[in-house]
Amino acid sequence: MIAKAGAQPPALRLARTVLAKELRDGLRDRRSLSMALVFPLLGPLVLAGSFSLVSKDVRSAAEDSVKLPVSGRENAPELVAFLAEGGLDPVEPPASPERAVRSGDVDVVLSIPPEYGARLREGRPAPVRLVVDQSRRAAKVTADRVRERLERWGRVTAAQRLVMRGVHPAVIEPLAVEEVDVSTAESRSAILFSVMPYFLVLSIFMGGMSVAIDTTAGERERLSLEPLLANPVPRAALVLGKIGASAFFSLMALTETSIAFTLLPVIAPLEDLGVSFRLDPGMVARLWLLSLPLLLAASALMVVVAARARSFRAAQSTMSFLMLVPAIPGFILAMTPVKEKAWMKITPALGEQLVMVRWLRGELVPVEDALRAMSASLLLAVLLAVVATRLFEGGKLLFEKA
Amino acid sequence: MIALQGVRKRFGKVEALRGVSFEVADGQVTGLLGPNGAGKTTALRVVYGVLVPDAGRATVDGIDLAADRVAAQRRLGVLPHAQGLYPRLTAREHVRYFAALHGLLGEGLEARVAEIVAALDMADFADRRADGFSQGQRVKVALARALVHDPRNVVLDEPTNGLDVGATRAVRGLLRKLRDEGRCVLFSSHVMQEVGILCDRVVVIARGEVVAQGSPDELRRSTGKESLEDAFVAAIGSEEGLG
Repeated sequence: MIAKAGAQPPALRLARTVLAKELRDGLRDRRSLSMALVFPLLGPLVLAGSFSLVSKDVRSAAEDSVKLPVSGRENAPELVAFLAEGGLDPVEPPASPERAVRSGDVDVVLSIPPEYGARLREGRPAPVRLVVDQSRRAAKVTADRVRERLERWGRVTAAQRLVMRGVHPAVIEPLAVEEVDVSTAESRSAILFSVMPYFLVLSIFMGGMSVAIDTTAGERERLSLEPLLANPVPRAALVLGKIGASAFFSLMALTETSIAFTLLPVIAPLEDLGVSFRLDPGMVARLWLLSLPLLLAASALMVVVAARARSFRAAQSTMSFLMLVPAIPGFILAMTPVKEKAWMKITPALGEQLVMVRWLRGELVPVEDALRAMSASLLLAVLLAVVATRLFEGGKLLFEKA
Repeated sequence: MIALQGVRKRFGKVEALRGVSFEVADGQVTGLLGPNGAGKTTALRVVYGVLVPDAGRATVDGIDLAADRVAAQRRLGVLPHAQGLYPRLTAREHVRYFAALHGLLGEGLEARVAEIVAALDMADFADRRADGFSQGQRVKVALARALVHDPRNVVLDEPTNGLDVGATRAVRGLLRKLRDEGRCVLFSSHVMQEVGILCDRVVVIARGEVVAQGSPDELRRSTGKESLEDAFVAAIGSEEGLG
């Protein structure tokens, strides 16, 4: 009649049972899904958006042909033709050049006075006037182009005069200045992409947050925790299953964010900025792997915090604050580079972000640095899992409000 | 068989249990009767292992909960005070989850789930999500997941609370059936009549202490009262909190 009880199932199998249930439950929850799949996309999208804006500015000024208001065109037809050849299309000047430039209606106005032709023929410096506003960044790009084009014309003309007098043009160029730009494309972009680790860490927290709350504070609030605790399950198995479910959602978010970052150069015209951001699959895989122990620690932390919260709502507000904490050091690092100290390298979240920034900058990072950061996070994950197990033991969670 | 020996539990300044001892035999329905706030739920929570007592011990089939909670809980089917469901899971998924937590798997699990779904007449809502279930449906799900692993000992905290007449009768029938199968059944109630018709033994608890125990007849005899209700009032010393 009454069946005999079989052998006690291994704790890991029970943990898997809990995990499977929490995943099924979480995947049916619209809030949990959107936290894991929609919100993490905001980071890459914000970056792509801001790049598009900046690069539109720079590109149109640097490459496309630009309208250049010129007054007194008839005084220097050759010069005007030379400018047009360089993509500076002469147009009618505004009535008051100074006012138009100051108000930003036009970037720059070139005016060629009537005496230009006579001075040029006499071999004396021929005056041209450039009206610019140095304080406007976008205008500066156009002004630089005009200036450079004018100097070029000057050099060409000077060389012709020398040749006519039987002098080699090299005589007036005693220096051959060669500029070597040591800022690699990677290091230039790293200034912008030092915020990327911040977004990766953020996605880890956002992804698992809703599930961590739902399986702990939520479970207590909907009164399903007591029946669950009446089951013959080691508390560690229960905790592992719940941390695992939260970690799975964090993993979805992290993976999605990583993929979105690899697609960033496709969405945003980065090359136009002189920013080569090559986030090849190898780099993405490294960032992803580096984040895994941190992901476990974050999930365990969220389960502990949510389990101790007074209510579902309280858990939510504590959590949105918690989410920012590991991101703060990364954010500060992005703003003001600080010299790395030993303790920073083994501080979970901070250690990983330091390694990420250096990788993205194209530096060689010792493998030990990455491993050290990962070990620190893994250790934290284990400690927090133990704390969570304690919380679930002896009915503390059920009857003693934090 | 379930036994409590000198169990004490204090919550802050309130002493909820002050040395509670009683035994619940196999093949009997035992009612834990007492006014609201007497300590019924606290005592049952100690039995099913979600609350650790400050002193004394609780055993299930001789297994001390303090020594091996998991082994003791494996021999229990529990309908706790709180019967929350997961709104996004179906009734059948609830039952499957608890069956798996009790170590069932594969075909054996599916067979037991099908059996209990049929026994509790849950077929028409078994594959619907719990969100929007009626109180009767919710209790059935809670009962199904408590009994799916075929436990020797069954503990139920106010199982007929909030049920309509039909559902109440069904639950009482189920308790008798469990007893007739030779199981040890312990349930709490503050409803006098229920205890009178259902129980082989009654444990009366008031202010955290067992004030009387025995068969309904023995209770009437020892207090010298005609009705069980009068016997009960005599035992607890007041009419406070009776339903």
